Amino acid sequence: MTGINAKAASVRFENVSKVYGTKVTAVDNISLEVRAGTLVTLLGPSGCGKTTTLRMIAGLEMATRGRIFIGEKDVTKLPATDRDVSMVFQSYALFPHMTVMENVSYGLKFSGFDKAETKDKALAGLGLVGLTGYGDRLPSELSGGQQQRVAVARALVLEPQVLLFDEPLSNLDAKLRRQVREEIREIQQNLGLTVVYVTHDQEEALAVSDEIVVMRNAAIAQKGTPRELYEAPADAFVADFIGEANLIPVDIVALDGDTATVRIADYTHRLPSRGLPQGPAKLAVRPSRMRLVAGVGDGVPAVIDKATYVGSRMEYTVTAAFGTVFAVLDDVTTPFRIGDAVTISFAASGPVLIPASQPS
Amino acid sequence: MMKRTFAAALTSATALSGTAALADLNLYCSAQEEWCQIMEKSFEEATGIDVAMTRKSSGETFAQIQAEASNPKGDVWWGGTGDPHLQAAEEDLTEPYVSPMRDQLHPWAIAQAESAGDKTIGIYSGALGFGYNSEMLEKAGLPAPACWEDLTKPEYKGMVQMANPNSSGTAYTTLASMVQMFGEDGGFDYMKRLHANINQYTKSGSAPIKAAGQGETLIGIVFMHDAVATTVAGFPVVTVAPCEGTGYEIGSMSIIKGARNMDEAKAFYDWALSKEAQDLALQVNAFQVMSNVGATKSDKAPDLASIKLIDYDFKKYGSSDERKRLLSKWDTEVSTLPQ
Amino acid sequence: MRTVSLEQTTHPVLIFWIIAGWVGYCILPWYGVEGFWSFEWLVDGWPLDDDYAPAAVLVGVGQKLWLAPMLLALAAPLLVLGRRKTDPLYAQVLIAAGGFGFAWLVAQGLGIGLRGFTAEWLTTLFGTLDDRQFGMGYGAMVTASAFLFLFTHGIAARGAINGDVFVTSAIGGVIAVVTIFVFFPITKMLLAAFATDDGGYSVLGFFPKFFDDRIWGLDCLSGGRCGVAWNSLLLAVLVGVLTTLLGLAFALVLTRSGFRYKRLLRALTVLPIITPPFVIGLAIILLFGLSGTVTTSLAAMFGVEATRWIYGLPGILIAQLLAFTPIAFLVLIGVVEGVSPSMEEAAQTLRANRWQTFRTVSWPLMRPGLANAFLLGFIESMADFGNPLVLGGNFDVLSTEIFFAIVGAQYDQSRAAILAVVLLGFTLGAFYLQRFWLGRKSYTTVTGKGDAGVHPPMPNGLAYPVYAVVALWSAFTLVVYGMILYGSVVQLWGVDDTLTFKHYLTAFRIDWTEDGLRWTGSAWDSFWTTMTIATLAAPLTAAIGLITAYLLTRQTFAGKRAFEFGTMLSFAIPGTVIGVAYILAFNVPPIEITGTGLILVISFIFRNMPVGVRAGIASMSQLDKSLDESSLTLGANSWQTFRAVILPLLRPAILAALVYSFVRAMTAISAVIFLVSARYDMSTSYIIGRVENNDYGLAIAYSTALIFVMLAAVGLLQLLVGRTRIGRRTSHGEIH
Repeated sequence: MTGINAKAASVRFENVSKVYGTKVTAVDNISLEVRAGTLVTLLGPSGCGKTTTLRMIAGLEMATRGRIFIGEKDVTKLPATDRDVSMVFQSYALFPHMTVMENVSYGLKFSGFDKAETKDKALAGLGLVGLTGYGDRLPSELSGGQQQRVAVARALVLEPQVLLFDEPLSNLDAKLRRQVREEIREIQQNLGLTVVYVTHDQEEALAVSDEIVVMRNAAIAQKGTPRELYEAPADAFVADFIGEANLIPVDIVALDGDTATVRIADYTHRLPSRGLPQGPAKLAVRPSRMRLVAGVGDGVPAVIDKATYVGSRMEYTVTAAFGTVFAVLDDVTTPFRIGDAVTISFAASGPVLIPASQPS
Repeated sequence: MMKRTFAAALTSATALSGTAALADLNLYCSAQEEWCQIMEKSFEEATGIDVAMTRKSSGETFAQIQAEASNPKGDVWWGGTGDPHLQAAEEDLTEPYVSPMRDQLHPWAIAQAESAGDKTIGIYSGALGFGYNSEMLEKAGLPAPACWEDLTKPEYKGMVQMANPNSSGTAYTTLASMVQMFGEDGGFDYMKRLHANINQYTKSGSAPIKAAGQGETLIGIVFMHDAVATTVAGFPVVTVAPCEGTGYEIGSMSIIKGARNMDEAKAFYDWALSKEAQDLALQVNAFQVMSNVGATKSDKAPDLASIKLIDYDFKKYGSSDERKRLLSKWDTEVSTLPQ
Repeated sequence: MRTVSLEQTTHPVLIFWIIAGWVGYCILPWYGVEGFWSFEWLVDGWPLDDDYAPAAVLVGVGQKLWLAPMLLALAAPLLVLGRRKTDPLYAQVLIAAGGFGFAWLVAQGLGIGLRGFTAEWLTTLFGTLDDRQFGMGYGAMVTASAFLFLFTHGIAARGAINGDVFVTSAIGGVIAVVTIFVFFPITKMLLAAFATDDGGYSVLGFFPKFFDDRIWGLDCLSGGRCGVAWNSLLLAVLVGVLTTLLGLAFALVLTRSGFRYKRLLRALTVLPIITPPFVIGLAIILLFGLSGTVTTSLAAMFGVEATRWIYGLPGILIAQLLAFTPIAFLVLIGVVEGVSPSMEEAAQTLRANRWQTFRTVSWPLMRPGLANAFLLGFIESMADFGNPLVLGGNFDVLSTEIFFAIVGAQYDQSRAAILAVVLLGFTLGAFYLQRFWLGRKSYTTVTGKGDAGVHPPMPNGLAYPVYAVVALWSAFTLVVYGMILYGSVVQLWGVDDTLTFKHYLTAFRIDWTEDGLRWTGSAWDSFWTTMTIATLAAPLTAAIGLITAYLLTRQTFAGKRAFEFGTMLSFAIPGTVIGVAYILAFNVPPIEITGTGLILVISFIFRNMPVGVRAGIASMSQLDKSLDESSLTLGANSWQTFRAVILPLLRPAILAALVYSFVRAMTAISAVIFLVSARYDMSTSYIIGRVENNDYGLAIAYSTALIFVMLAAVGLLQLLVGRTRIGRRTSHGEIH
């Protein structure tokens, strides 16, 4: 039985830009590296350039400037056909006039495999996604999740150096989405594939990625492991995009080595300065890192505006002098009520300082 | 791939290529199909020269010869009304030739040749006239028309059809004949009065008599041999030779200038003027009067001797300047009148 | 393993074209030879005889030295063998060699003709040339193709169109053939619009002729006659709108109703398209003319006075509707079938009723088809000349005026050219109006996701009028064809109603003699020629048309709009003008193909290609682009993608293009009449000969026979092309 093996290669962008016409810059001077065998997610709001970046890896768009490498090979000018890359499309792009088997065998036909090998590989691919026995169906006779898996199998059987996913889960329901994304991650890790994955869903990104590249306005806002991004966002944009964050205006009143002392109203808090100078800054605090204490205490006084019970935890909207923040508490047995006066403070680890204004 | 398409194009090109016809004589024929075919076959039988014949109307053939002028494909042009032949002679598209058969021809055929510097010659002639549908006439209880003047009578209003002189040589011959018979003013006055009775100016010259045959019009102004042919084809059409007299056409033949097979063209030319060749007309219901004096006459054919023929000035009315002048005058003074 | 052999060895296709260039230059006869396929030249002095010599031999013995520079362009590409595609030299050498070679080949072909230099200034510059050259032959053709594709390989290597060799070559190839066979002859013809009587050219002389009252007059508003331009415009708009609506009605009945005899209806809608010219006109006269069956019976029954109302706008309109509705239908059926049922179902689930669904979803999604159908109807009507000729009465239109300006008593080519300019202007206008109406919206409805929906039936408010129209029109069509069939088996149509088969016998007699089968019928010659030429032209037309449509919908490149318009051009100009233009352009070197069957095939390809293009565009704009892209990322190249993904999904468009071009090749007359020659006479020109000779019976019998032949051919094509299985359920729920 023929198996599916990986020939994973790295992907490297060197100062790549993509300009449409003369004015519209879709990707602006990006450099990044995807190590072989890792799953890297391109994350960002619509129009940030993540799909264009992906399509430039595929060879469906040509870089206007800069160079693109797959493995050690410069592929900047190679068309899609000649790159060893497969892609799973948002719409799946299954050929409606071909059966599942024909769809999965499609790329193999053009890769110099003989008939028996093609069949074996295709069957192995279908097996890998759990669709053994569905070969004779037409795409229209499959459910959405099944179609999605056919699309994955079709890309997988080519054993590409890089496998690309363009928002592959956006047409699936939530439960299926979780299941398929775990399957994708599992296959990727088992086979050691290099995967570049585009999504606008930060939860999805956090769940599947070895590394995340957050993009904004055609440029990279920050890249790092999910934990790095979550715990140490470079700026307010990243902080807000990766999980929710409360952005609280603060003043850095003192610097002591790497530790800064910040003041919010009358409350002071010490935390790593991350190289920020004295003066105004912002404190990014995840809702789960907020501490609420009933009555007056050491912290910032505030009032509960909304309280929502979501089963495993309580969600609160709290108004203080500096504005409104969002907090999540695990205590569901003795919740606060709307109108309760509370004091806000922050967990020792978790809150991070970020610059007051966004870099332009 | 694209290349494969080209390969296919190449193959088909191979199959259909050949930059010039392989035949020994390329004949452009402007008479009706059977006549052309019988001329082709009989000439091949008589001489053994292989003929490739293309049949087109005289206007189309003229346009083609004009377009091909820098690299002629045809050798000889046989048949069709004389004007385009004269025009071709005027534009130096045809070759002068004096055939040894000339002494066997009617004077009108030779006159045609002389007026064009021997670049063309008459092979048949046909007089202008009109035909009417006898069944319709009877049903409508109208008198049979006998003269040109009858056609302008109010009882025939909307019942006369003729071709548009701009598009048809037949109709131009009609216009030129009227101008020659009644003088320019009288001729145009006649055309204006006739205009009131015309239901349609057709594009093609013989269309009016076909329409009359089918009952789509009562009267059609055409060459009389066309009217006779319609009757012979079985339609209830009666041919009339107008009492005032009438104009006529001379069907002609020319050798194309720069012909690739000049000797064969001349052989055809001579043969086409012989009695044997001209007798072929009767086998194909062509009722024109042939130019060879000895050619057999059909009893159905209009007898030119009994028709008052005017002294038609082919030289003058065949020239493009006069033609343009008369046509634009007809366009502005006649065709725009209300009917 | 996946084969990524590209950078090690030179692309095999490139090697092929390098070799082809040398073969064309050194082995094949450079100039045209008579009867190439007989291969007589092989034993008749080749390669040393002047007539058959390859260019290399000619140059070698010191003749035609102007052919020598091309050697450079042939030698240069050898440098790139073994080089990487990414090597800048690779691209530069190919572009320079291909570009120079092609340009030089064209320049010498145009510059040196039958009488030495073709232009005054060349003689002034280089002195008199004492040599001449004939039309290019296969050597020149192969070498020219080689140069062209070397050039496109170079362009692709430089990264144009994503470095795609197939697409660049296809664009290069289509541009080259469209330029040679559309722009070149039409430019030659249109130059005549500026010609003066004394043979010169004048821009000033153009305007008075252009603004002539006979073209633009508006006297009909005050009881007189209007100019031909207005007549044509009115007619074309009416025909465009009505054929689109009728075609849509038929398409709707076929796709969105429970009507049972769909096959029958389909056949009926195709019938008029396979009818030779003049026949519909004659049938209409026999029905509605002054002595027509309908007219006389109405007169007898109701005492209505018989009139000649049919002659003029009404008659042309009816005949053109009969003739061109099938084209609209063929375009629309693909589009109407292509509207994704799930979109319609989605609308219904969004609480739109059937009528609202149709109005807000189905109809707008059909817009590309509607616009294309209108455009085709409009242009067809503008260019049609058979029907106005028979039924026009005094209602003059541009096409007949052009024809008679050329062949009529005026022999006025310049007037013909000016009328052609007017006609072209209208076509251009319609073309841009269509673009404007379609706007920039996306009409993609076949996406990569399987579509499991069912087309909803039409809303009642729409269904009843549609049924009524379809029923009436079908009945009318049947009556017309009944008349035609009847006409072919009576002695003399309209006069002697005795039944007879003599017309068929005259035309299609076959005798058994001692020598075996003898085709003694008078129609056989033209029949077999027509069949051969139509069979050759149809696949080529469809291929070029669909490749062009693919380029237009799927690729972006500079000058795409102009390119698109160019491909429509030959269709927009009446065949008669094309005929004359072809004679003017291709009767003399460098391309000398008049009098051959090839010129007929070529004229059919470029006249009918626009239908393939339009049908292809309409269908392709409904295919989601991610289908191509996924194929590309799966390792198929553009050609493989085109073949394996696009083509199978385009079956309706392919069928439309094949059927249309085959049938057109068998029924077209206007261009043909100028291009037929003794050895290549076509059925239609033979039929017209019979009509001119009052031999209606034979003409109609021949036409009827052709109709049956074409019906069989259409059926055969349908079988060959097959249906695309994309697993939509029918309204009965089964999968097919």
